Amino acid sequence: MSPKAAWLRQAVAFIALIGVWEACADAGYLNPLYMPAPSNVAAALFQLFAQGTIWPHLIATFSAALGGLAVGLVIGTALGATAALTPLVGELLAPVMIALNAVPRVVLAPLFVIWFGIGIGSKVALSFILVAVLIFFTVFTGIREVDRRLVERVVTLGGGRGALLREVYGPSVVAWILGNLKVAVGFAFTGAVVGEFVAATKGLGYLLSFAQSSYNAALMLALVLLIMAFVLALFGLTGWLERRLLRWRG
Amino acid sequence: MLRVDSLALAYGATPVLEGASLEVPSGRFVSLVGPSGSGKSSLLRAIIGLQKPLSGAIETDIAAGEIGMLFQDDALLPWRTAEQNVALGLRLKGVATGTAIASARQWITRLGLYGLSERFPRELSGGQRKRVALAQVLAREPQLILMDEPFASLDAIVRARVTQDLVRLVELRGISVLLVTHDLEEALALSDVVYLLSQGPRARISGRYDVPLPRPRDVMKARIHADFAPLLQRLWNDLSREVGERAA
Ligand SMILES: Nc1ncnc2c1ncn2[C@@H]1O[C@H](COP(=O)(O)OP(=O)(O)O)[C@@H](O)[C@H]1O
Ligand SMILES: [Mg+2]
Repeated sequence: MSPKAAWLRQAVAFIALIGVWEACADAGYLNPLYMPAPSNVAAALFQLFAQGTIWPHLIATFSAALGGLAVGLVIGTALGATAALTPLVGELLAPVMIALNAVPRVVLAPLFVIWFGIGIGSKVALSFILVAVLIFFTVFTGIREVDRRLVERVVTLGGGRGALLREVYGPSVVAWILGNLKVAVGFAFTGAVVGEFVAATKGLGYLLSFAQSSYNAALMLALVLLIMAFVLALFGLTGWLERRLLRWRG
Repeated sequence: MLRVDSLALAYGATPVLEGASLEVPSGRFVSLVGPSGSGKSSLLRAIIGLQKPLSGAIETDIAAGEIGMLFQDDALLPWRTAEQNVALGLRLKGVATGTAIASARQWITRLGLYGLSERFPRELSGGQRKRVALAQVLAREPQLILMDEPFASLDAIVRARVTQDLVRLVELRGISVLLVTHDLEEALALSDVVYLLSQGPRARISGRYDVPLPRPRDVMKARIHADFAPLLQRLWNDLSREVGERAA
C-alpha cells in the first residue's frame, strides 16, 4: 500500500461511514432524538450560517479562547522562566503550580463565574489558567533541562547572563513552547467552551448548553463539528509556525 | 604562560587527579597523553574554570577571553548555522556582527568547509561539526588554545592540513597550545613537550618528554626525523606500563 494514497483510503472510509449512518437513519433504525442523520446535522450547520445566528457566538468563543491563549502564553512563560532561573521564586511557585496541575482545572469554572461574572472575563480566565499551567511546566522543566554543554560553550566564549538568555535559553524555550502549542490551543478552546457551558449568554458553549436543554442532538453535533473544524484549522497554523521557526530541527 | 601546580580534583567522593603539575610556556606546543579516563578532559575543564579543583593552583598571565577551548564533543548551538556559530565566538568578544560574519566565513573556508556556511549543525557530519567548532575557537585568535582530542573525527588529509596550520600558528604568532590526544605520534610530531598522565584514580603527571625536533616543523616529515622513533618507543613503553599496571 502506498502511503501517499492513505488520505484517499481515509476519505473513502469516512464517506462510507457517513453513507451507512445516513442509510440506517433513513431506514428508521436510529432514533433521531439520540442519533440524528448526517443530513440533519448538515442542515443544522447550514442554518446556523444561513441565518447568521452563529457569528456572535463564534466571535465570543474565539475572543475568549485566543485571549486566554495569549495571556496564558505570556504569563506562563514569564513565570516558568523566572521560577527556573531564580531559585527562591521556583521554590515558592512550584508547589502552587503542582497543586493547580493536580486538579482538573475546568472545575474552577463555577468559581470564575462568581469572581469574574457571566461575561467573557470568566471564560478568558478559565482558558488562561488551563494554558498558563501547561506553559509554566513546559518552560520551567525546559530551562532546567537545557543542554548543559551549550551553556558551558557560551560561558567559555565569554557570554554572560544576557548572552545565555538570547543564545541558549531563549531558542530552547521557543522550541519547547512550539512543541506544546497544539495542546495549548486545544486547552484554550476547552476553557472557553466549558466556561460558556457553565454560565453565559453567548458562545459555542452556550449554544451547546441550549441544544442540550432543548434536546436538539442535531444542533449539538453540528456545533461539535464546528469546534473541531476551527481547532483543526488552528492546528494547521501552529504546524506551519513550527516548520518555519524550527527549521534547524528539520 | 600557563602553570598547573599539584592539582587535585574529584567528582564527589571519586578522586580523579592528585598532584598533577604541568607547564605551557608561551609560544609552545604542549601535549598531554594518558590512559582514557585518567582525567585529561577534567584537567582542561579545571583550567578554564568549569571544574573547581580541590587543591592546587592554576596560574596564567593570559586573560580569560584570550584562552580558547575546543571541547571533546562537538556541541554547537543547533539553532544557529555554521557561520552564525563561528560568528558568535567573535560577537561575544565584542566584534561587530557584520565583521564577525565576514571573518567567520573566511575561517569556515580555511577549514575546508566552503559552501557549508548556511547549514545547521544537524546537516553537518561529525568531522564537519568539529571543524566548525575549531573555526569558532581559531577565529577569536586566542593566545592559548586548549584542545581536547580535537582531530579524532577528521580524515587523514584534513587532519594533516589542520594540524600543520595549527603548528604554523604557534610558530609564527607565538600562541600556545595545550593538546590532549591519544595519538602518541601526533603528540610528538606537533609538540615541544609531551606530558604523560598516569592511570587514574588519583592520576598525576608521571612523565615529561622534551621533543628536540627543529622548528619550523613539517608535521609529516617530523615523523621520519632520526630522534622521532626512539622517543616514540619510550613514550609508548611508559604509557603501556601505566595501562598495564592497573590492568594486571
Ligand atoms: N561529570 C562527571 N561526573 C562524575 N564523574 C566524572 C564526570 N566526568 C568525568 N568523570 C570521571 O572522571 C574520570 C576522568 O574523566 P575524564 O577527565 O573525562 O578522563 P579522560 O578525558 O582522560 O578520558 C573518569 O573516571 C570519569 O568517569
Ligand atoms: Mg576526555
